[in-house]
Amino acid sequence: MLDLLHHEREGDEYGEEVESLHEAETRRSVMRMSIALVVASVLLLAFNSQSLVTWVNGFEVGPVQDAVVSLAARWNGEMEEQGLDAPAKTVRGEVNEARNMDWSEVQRWLENEQARSREGARLLRGMLSEERG
Amino acid sequence: MLFPTIEFGIFFLIVFAVSWAVRGAPELRKFVLLGASYFFYGWWDWRFLGLLFLSTLINYLAGLAIAHTEREGLRKLIVGIAVTAGLSILGFFKYYGFFLTSLATLLETAGLERDLPFMQVILPVGISFFTFQGISYVVDVYRGHATAEKSLLNVMLYISFFPQLVAGPIVRAADFLPQLHRAPVLTRAHIGVGVVLILSGLAKKMVIANYLATELVDPVFFDPTAVSALDLLIGIYGYAVQIYCDFSGYSDIAIGVAALLGYRFLENFDQPYRASSLQDFWRRWHISLSTWLRDYLYVPLGGNRYGEAKTYRNLFLTMFLGGIWHGAAWTFVFWGTFHGAMLAVERYARKKLDEFAPSHSDPGGVMTAIGNGAQHVVGIVWTFHLVCFAWIFFRADSFSTAGSYLVGFGRWSEPSQYVTPFAVGLILLAMFFQFTPRNLGRWLAQLIQWLPSPVLGLLLGGGIWLIWTIAPEGVAPFIYFQF
Repeated sequence: MLDLLHHEREGDEYGEEVESLHEAETRRSVMRMSIALVVASVLLLAFNSQSLVTWVNGFEVGPVQDAVVSLAARWNGEMEEQGLDAPAKTVRGEVNEARNMDWSEVQRWLENEQARSREGARLLRGMLSEERG
Repeated sequence: MLFPTIEFGIFFLIVFAVSWAVRGAPELRKFVLLGASYFFYGWWDWRFLGLLFLSTLINYLAGLAIAHTEREGLRKLIVGIAVTAGLSILGFFKYYGFFLTSLATLLETAGLERDLPFMQVILPVGISFFTFQGISYVVDVYRGHATAEKSLLNVMLYISFFPQLVAGPIVRAADFLPQLHRAPVLTRAHIGVGVVLILSGLAKKMVIANYLATELVDPVFFDPTAVSALDLLIGIYGYAVQIYCDFSGYSDIAIGVAALLGYRFLENFDQPYRASSLQDFWRRWHISLSTWLRDYLYVPLGGNRYGEAKTYRNLFLTMFLGGIWHGAAWTFVFWGTFHGAMLAVERYARKKLDEFAPSHSDPGGVMTAIGNGAQHVVGIVWTFHLVCFAWIFFRADSFSTAGSYLVGFGRWSEPSQYVTPFAVGLILLAMFFQFTPRNLGRWLAQLIQWLPSPVLGLLLGGGIWLIWTIAPEGVAPFIYFQF
């Protein structure tokens, strides 16, 4: 994958024209990545506000730290009110279900899947024969 | 400061913004990156900042002295002094306690007990990595592969650059220093590569490695006598996957972060568990260390230039020292020695097989193709199990634990406690990616690099959010930090 970067540097010997192209490309790329990082940060602040609270709770006690802790708690409360913590709860629930699954459940799941695919095939055959009929 | 933490996220946002804002002043940019790197290292333990600087200064002065000396003997002497100084610092911090404990045991066995000057020596994080980078600089200057730097700033940044400082990859002076002499460049390709590697590294470390560690590997290795043979077998497969995801995850993030700052590091892993021989494995596993050992140890020892016996000796010695580099314990020595011995056996066997049946004696045919394919598959399975066997000694805290682990393979009648569908699923998932096309990451990076910025942001933020949400609570340290 890193040969992508290697190819980028091959034009180095071509002089000032390439340097100015690199400068323009760098300016655009820095802007692109900056926007992407801002979007990513906002998204994480909104949907992962609980982690922010966990993080600031690890701070030492002090007036500034206390203000930050209370701000983070308020922010998290707002996000929860908007229901933005729901996707994380759903995903964690699914992951916990997967973690707690035992082999008999896997077997049951596989049997259900097989039954569903058999049923699907049967229905499809039925539809085809009806069309033909 | 661990990569998958909010602290590092904030740190990186600041470094990214400031370093690119000052890109018009390259020297200032280097100062910014150097300051960030020393801050990053000081966050671990500020007391060792002086050691990092001392190690850098020795190598910087040695590089200058070599460049200004024409007498070959004197140049060699300077290299020798610099390498000895670096290894002495490493030796004291890493092996002092190990050496004295081993000596005390030896004296006790011989009935010659003595009071030895034991003391509590704290191991500075990343010392093995920055020492090897320093040696790489001095030797590369001596060999003419790198130019001696007049700027102390460049050497300091080369040795302390934060993405690779504490757990590699071991960056070569000849690869990195020339990048400091060019104007920093950030392209779409850098962004594509950076984002793909950061996300894949986080997923490997936070999800696969952390879950396997807490739910399978740690309990199995805690008391191998209390679990069944199936737990032990899947436990060691789990550890093989855990250490791969842990270490290659760290390397991926390091390479990705460096790419977003405009620098290129070489790849450190290349789907190692698809290797069909041990030699092939070492071309794919921790590539920056194995090539370092090859170029700065195996080749200077003579490599394969002085006959078969010396080649075997050199292989063995290189892997023995590679083993002890990993940690000050006899289990690591055994791990390295085992790899060295098996590499020698493999080389001998291949030589004998080639004599018996030269590879080009039979023109290609269907049967030959099937035979080669079967041989390849058997080679992959055999190599993976050899590597897993050695991992038992690498992971075990003592020979007694490793012995209990091996003895436990007789307990097949007992029910397993830790082999859950979830753990097996994680192992299979990680192994699946060992056999996907090598260019998968490249294709993804090429795809991502053309996304509009907001979509790229959503992908990056959404990816981190998903990984964070799926991952277990808390962040376990990376395995290779202890080395």
